Amino acid sequence: MRLRIPNRLEDVFLALDRAEGALDRAEVDASCRADVRLVLEELLVNTVRHGYPDGRDGNIDIRLEVEADVVHLELRDDAMPFDPLQREPPDLPGDIARRDIGGLGLHLARSIASEFHYARDAHGNRVVIRFDPSDEPAL
Amino acid sequence: MTLIVRSESPSPDRSTVWLEGRLDAATYAAFDEALRDVTPLLDNGGTLVIDLSALEYISSAGLRSLAQLRKQVHDRDGRTLLVNPQPQVKKVFDIVKAVPVAEVFASVGELDQYLDHMQRQMTAPGG
Repeated sequence: MRLRIPNRLEDVFLALDRAEGALDRAEVDASCRADVRLVLEELLVNTVRHGYPDGRDGNIDIRLEVEADVVHLELRDDAMPFDPLQREPPDLPGDIARRDIGGLGLHLARSIASEFHYARDAHGNRVVIRFDPSDEPAL
Repeated sequence: MTLIVRSESPSPDRSTVWLEGRLDAATYAAFDEALRDVTPLLDNGGTLVIDLSALEYISSAGLRSLAQLRKQVHDRDGRTLLVNPQPQVKKVFDIVKAVPVAEVFASVGELDQYLDHMQRQMTAPGG
């Protein structure tokens, strides 16, 4: 699946449904589909909310491929430079009601992905992620 | 699918909320809104039960809403207990260590047992 969406929240959710449909058709199991949906939601919502502080229109390209039970996801955007891997993991005291909640989404995305790479080139940010269905997240 | 929120407040010391669908960046506002009508029905020190049996999916936006709700109930000396999280929700809870393990129950039966036990402790002579 290849999809280009504008940097708007409603388009993010249309893209999530399209992605889930594509994975379903490729017979990816429910647990892996949910993993991909979660990582996509966290990264795309983050990009739309924080990537364009000047309010300009932007584009996000989503590429999703399934190859022998492994799901490959590539995201490219023209937002301001942001490397999700450079964020410190949040402090997790065992009760999210007791802490100031920030960084949970990126932490989830990084924990669930089997492999996570970031690069920035002339086009913008590029994230490449792999999901292995049998992988359990590192706790 | 979006989110469906149902609730029942049979007594001022206990309310139950059932969630169905997805609690994410698209639906958390509807959840917050629905809970604004439920929490005032709960006495100080009451128990809010959130039944997660039919909640398929949660993201960080949903976690934030749950956290705010737990804090709000906690600030009134009450507690929030979660019942029957499904695999995706449980996985997300585990990764972020969202809630103390003692506040998550595998089934309604297990929750009832716990609440009965607490009740007996409170009413036992010399208790």
